[in-house]
Amino acid sequence: MNSSKSTQIILFIYGLLVIVFLYLPLISVGFASISKARYLTFPIKRYSTKWYMKAMESETVYAIITTSLKVAVIVTVISMIVAFFGALAFARYNWRYRGFFQKLILLPIFFPQTVLGLALLMWFNSIGIIPTWKTAIVAHLVWIAPIATLIVAIRAYSFDPSLEEAARDMGASTTTVLKEITLPLLMPGIISAGLFAFLLSWGNFPLSLFTTGADSTLPEWLYAKMVSGYSPLVPTLGILSVASSFLLVLVCIALISFYRSIQNKIN
Amino acid sequence: MKVQPILRLKNISKAFGSFQAVKDINLEIFEGEFFTIVGPSGSGKSTLIRLLVGMDDLTSGEIYLRGNRIDRTPANLRPTCMVFQSLALFPHMSVGQNIEFPLKLKKMAPNDRKQKSLELLDLLRLPKSFYEKRISQCSGGEKQRVALARALAFDPEILFFDEPLSALDYRLRKTLEKELKNLHLRTGKTFVYITHSLEEAMVMSDRIAIMRGGEFEQISVSDDIYERPVSRFVAEFMGEVNLFEVSGTKKLGLKSENPNFHINCDPSKAKLGLADGIGGVLVVRPECLRFLTNSESADFVLTGKLKAEYALGSRTQYEIETASQNIITVEKLREDRFMGKEGSKVTLGFDAESAHIIEEL
Repeated sequence: MNSSKSTQIILFIYGLLVIVFLYLPLISVGFASISKARYLTFPIKRYSTKWYMKAMESETVYAIITTSLKVAVIVTVISMIVAFFGALAFARYNWRYRGFFQKLILLPIFFPQTVLGLALLMWFNSIGIIPTWKTAIVAHLVWIAPIATLIVAIRAYSFDPSLEEAARDMGASTTTVLKEITLPLLMPGIISAGLFAFLLSWGNFPLSLFTTGADSTLPEWLYAKMVSGYSPLVPTLGILSVASSFLLVLVCIALISFYRSIQNKIN
Repeated sequence: MKVQPILRLKNISKAFGSFQAVKDINLEIFEGEFFTIVGPSGSGKSTLIRLLVGMDDLTSGEIYLRGNRIDRTPANLRPTCMVFQSLALFPHMSVGQNIEFPLKLKKMAPNDRKQKSLELLDLLRLPKSFYEKRISQCSGGEKQRVALARALAFDPEILFFDEPLSALDYRLRKTLEKELKNLHLRTGKTFVYITHSLEEAMVMSDRIAIMRGGEFEQISVSDDIYERPVSRFVAEFMGEVNLFEVSGTKKLGLKSENPNFHINCDPSKAKLGLADGIGGVLVVRPECLRFLTNSESADFVLTGKLKAEYALGSRTQYEIETASQNIITVEKLREDRFMGKEGSKVTLGFDAESAHIIEEL
């Protein structure tokens, strides 16, 4: 099909707008982080990396990142395990309440996170649990594990159940089938689910706000500092956070392609 | 001495809720046989084969393999193996790894495994280079052979097939049908095959069972099923057939209500007589009918109008419409083609030897 001149122009403008709205703000945060001045002004008069050095040295930053990382890593690991078995139940086995389970799993995604966070906080209080970063893990899981399950379930739906039956028919026990057939075939889905889980937890603000108690995660801290006590440490940590997420995505892509190459490699 | 069957099904049934998919089936399959179960979709043949390999549990009945009851044995502990309709080749493994999968499970040493799988590639006429190929690099026919090699690597007592050729194009299917028959001869294994195509079954099988509504309608050798179907269903299942309603009379043996259908033969010659008052259908295959000139006659004669002519390659098919609007199908070899104009009046005939009668009450 030949696209006309005007179509091309519209497409170009559309593309430009996408870039402007998605990436330009991020770039401006990047600029803010390398400004020497304490307050953000444009154009930036003097550049400096001093806020990056400060971030490296700061114990508060270290504590915040550790908290965020602890939450995100634990949420990721639990989500991956729950997602694997949940997806098998979701897509593979026929059982009485399967349809109900499939719908139930989707529900938390539609909840506004602030409402979910508030509800969980009230619930923690009522059963006498003091909110810390550990309760935030539970809150994150309520919202993230279903998403991870869906990602793995899509993968599970796309492969032929007769593969598992064939393996079983040739003498493989249930655990061997799981190890040799199901797990390798679901692995790309499990890795993507893990990536999503990590990123969603790492960047989550509303759930953390309600459920971390005295502890603070990176997004919470960024918000608090924006409200009072701004310094270029805020955009600096913002950029560091984005950079580490980006790095993680690259690692996952590498992991999946490495996984594929292992599969392709012969014996 | 009575030969012991390798597989014996005793009163096996399978119900899904209130639906009886398999109804009280009894069957004996013998060592080295190529046994095919044929039926339309929904006849219960897929359910039956899943019961036989242990993928589903019986509702009732017993299955014996060489006299040992196996219906309570899970699929992974049964010495049988199935080639799936989808072939179920593992996409994350190479051709070699696929073939070696059952050997690995049997804890065979890696070198022996490789040796064995190369032998199997050879048996299935695949070059050794396939050992390292990925499944996605294989064509439909090659995948078929890899699936067979993998099933043979398992060295099953009985090899089951669940319509493995149904997804292939016509020519490849025809080639593989013959190869499969050949493979059966070379390996001497017992093959149990299910298909919806009686044509496919006839090419390969020693015996055929026709399945309908969860039961066997007829079990016999292919000639018998083709020439002497026990029911209208079996007769019609094998492609083209002409059926004529008849009834038995004391004097003539047979009579027809159809004014365009004349029965000239002596009932004693025909061996087609029905007892007085019993109805039935006369079954005649299209290739058994011939066009008659004015001077010729036959045991059974009918008249009609030539309605259509179809070239089938080696044969030509004709549709003749009788006055009572029945369509009669006739097939002639291309070299014996009938030269008639469409719409012209024709007389058809066939002899008692080429007809078969099915009693219907």
